[in-house]
Amino acid sequence: MKKIVLSLFVASVLFQSCSNDDDGGNSENQVVAPTTYSFERNGNSSVSFGGQTTRIQMAHELISALKDNTQTEKVLDAMFAHVEGEVDFSDADLNASNKSIRSKTAASEDYFKANTTDGNAIKADFDTWIAAQASDVFTNWDNDASVGNAGKIQEAGGGSTRYVNAKGLEYNQAVNKALIGALMTDQILNNYLSPAVLDAGSNIADNNAGTVADGKTYTTMEHKWDEAYGYLYGNEDNPAVPVTNADSFLSKYLFRVESDTDFTGIAADIYNAFKLGRAAIVAKNYRVRDEQAEIIREKISEIIGIRAVYYLQQGKASLGIDNASAFHDLSEGFGFVYSLQFTRKPNTTEPYFTKTEVDNFINTLTTGNGFWDLDATILDTMSNTISSKFSFTTAQAGS
Amino acid sequence: MITGRKIILVLITALVIVGCSSSSDDGPSSKTDDFNRGALLTNLVDNTIIPAFEDLQVKLLALKANKDVFIVAPNQINLEALRMSWIEAYKVWQSVEVFNIGKAEELQYSFQMNVYPTNVLDIENNISSGTYDLTNVNNNDAVGFPAVDYLLYGIGNDDMAILNKYLDIKYKNYLADVIDQMASLTQIVLDDWKTVYRTTFVNSIANTATSSLNKFVNDFIFYYEKGLRANKIGIPAGNFSTTPLPEKIEAFYNQDISKELALEALNAVQNLFNGKAYLSATIGESFKSYLNHLDRNDLVGLINTRFDDARQKIEALHDNFNIQINTDNTKMTQAFDALQLTVVSLKVDMLQAFNVSVDFVDADGD
Repeated sequence: MKKIVLSLFVASVLFQSCSNDDDGGNSENQVVAPTTYSFERNGNSSVSFGGQTTRIQMAHELISALKDNTQTEKVLDAMFAHVEGEVDFSDADLNASNKSIRSKTAASEDYFKANTTDGNAIKADFDTWIAAQASDVFTNWDNDASVGNAGKIQEAGGGSTRYVNAKGLEYNQAVNKALIGALMTDQILNNYLSPAVLDAGSNIADNNAGTVADGKTYTTMEHKWDEAYGYLYGNEDNPAVPVTNADSFLSKYLFRVESDTDFTGIAADIYNAFKLGRAAIVAKNYRVRDEQAEIIREKISEIIGIRAVYYLQQGKASLGIDNASAFHDLSEGFGFVYSLQFTRKPNTTEPYFTKTEVDNFINTLTTGNGFWDLDATILDTMSNTISSKFSFTTAQAGS
Repeated sequence: MITGRKIILVLITALVIVGCSSSSDDGPSSKTDDFNRGALLTNLVDNTIIPAFEDLQVKLLALKANKDVFIVAPNQINLEALRMSWIEAYKVWQSVEVFNIGKAEELQYSFQMNVYPTNVLDIENNISSGTYDLTNVNNNDAVGFPAVDYLLYGIGNDDMAILNKYLDIKYKNYLADVIDQMASLTQIVLDDWKTVYRTTFVNSIANTATSSLNKFVNDFIFYYEKGLRANKIGIPAGNFSTTPLPEKIEAFYNQDISKELALEALNAVQNLFNGKAYLSATIGESFKSYLNHLDRNDLVGLINTRFDDARQKIEALHDNFNIQINTDNTKMTQAFDALQLTVVSLKVDMLQAFNVSVDFVDADGD
């Protein structure tokens, strides 16, 4: 009994000494997450992420065009680096947009604002893959792929035909999966959830005073958080209540990871952190906000890590038996491995794997005759190196 | 037993109080800010701004005199002399562009002096029509140093062709009008500093959005981020576009001086930060001494180290940025990256220490 009284007393001292500590910024407001990602100001929604939805849809058209051998490099380049008003897409709204995929590729505040040298090298990788799809793969569309030769290769049992380069890599998969890291993950984790962006300029003062952006229903800080949300949930029919698997990028692979019983719950963890963090901005509680950002950083990084290991392991299983199937998995794995450099270890400013480490992985996958030369040992070593940096095992991720 | 518990309780309470009070302290900037802003402003205006404008005006009057000689006798010797005086003035300009405040801000002086790339079509149209208002905003990219760059180096394929152009009175007139206008604008800005604005500037010592120091420190950072980092390095290196844009370098028609101009600009910025006088090694009150006063020697050291690192990266570039971009653009982006590191130190850390708000949006756009 005495212990309870004592601990209650201590607790109340704790509470009072901190809550009385009113110096303008550090007093904590209680934060309660709403049931859904719905926030309003004066009866109007204050949630907005149109630019993110636009870029997801542009990326959809791009990866679709990468599989159409009647396209030219010029057309593909223009879809990647859209210029406002140019007729690059089938959707007129996308053509009218001033957004572009390329300008936001490897372009986050924390990782690339003061490292445009690496940012440019990464953009150049995408340019190279896109160009090579037209020059090497489209031109060999009807030839059979073999060691050192680009062409088509069909999965066993009358399965899908894959179109690969001389090393067995599907460039469309490389672009698709690498964009999950270089665009979505980098923008969410290293740009919009970063205090350097959330707190830029007068954002804190404006948010504290409830001063909205010019002509908008939201404060700039609220909007930045929403833009992070939009890169994951922006293509949902009802983004406030996401069901995931709503695009071919991060949303799809969150769904896939959630479907693996080893990781069930990750979708709710991410969604709840987004909701609570946004509510924390409304409540002006930036400590809670930043805690949610760290949760999101860890969980989204895990999606990349899990899927990288998953595809390396899947590729290993069919390598030499059904090479088309193996190369398809390894092509997806290639993109997820590439994406590791955009992940973010929570409470640090570092990725789980640096650009140099990722470049070494990529070199291992593509050296010599590339996928044709790979074996189980190489793929297991790489898988284990990756999973050892995360809180999952190769076995958990691999099936 | 009870006594023991009480002691523990007191200890816990004390710990909690200590813990909370220290967490409410948001760092070294809690020191009372009794810095003498007036002394900083006075040092700035008397030892840098006015001497730099005076020097610029001396150089522009020399440019004007050489132009007068050239127009009477457009030959190779006179062209060389004219070019030399243009280079000398352009170098001094690098110490002046940052002062976009007072009369300069009112006249949009820097827009009439150094918008590049210059618009060749507008210049040639002005020349052929013979009627133009050089102060019109439409002509911002047809006047100033970049227009003279084109007129002295770019209007013909070689010097012979350039000299031949000046057989035409219309070319002579345009060259004369542009240079005369530069000198005339500079005289207006300089006179205003010396007669009226100096007093206003140094006496505005409060900390409000329109106080001198608040405005100037914002101008300083904006110039560093936009005028220096983006315009001279980042934009030509292609950091804001799909491909590099070497045609956007400063002094495009006499590209051999592009690095020299960038270094002049960086030196001017660092001297301003440290309070070094324009004409001598004298050191006065500055952002540096203000930070020192706020116990932020760490930040002073970091900013100067980063300036020095950026200078090393720029010094490693080819004199001619067009050649550098076309041979090894990575070195350009490395210089940009080194300059960018200082943006964060200035715009976030220094402004927080001064308790000054940023009054411009991100110069890079979204």
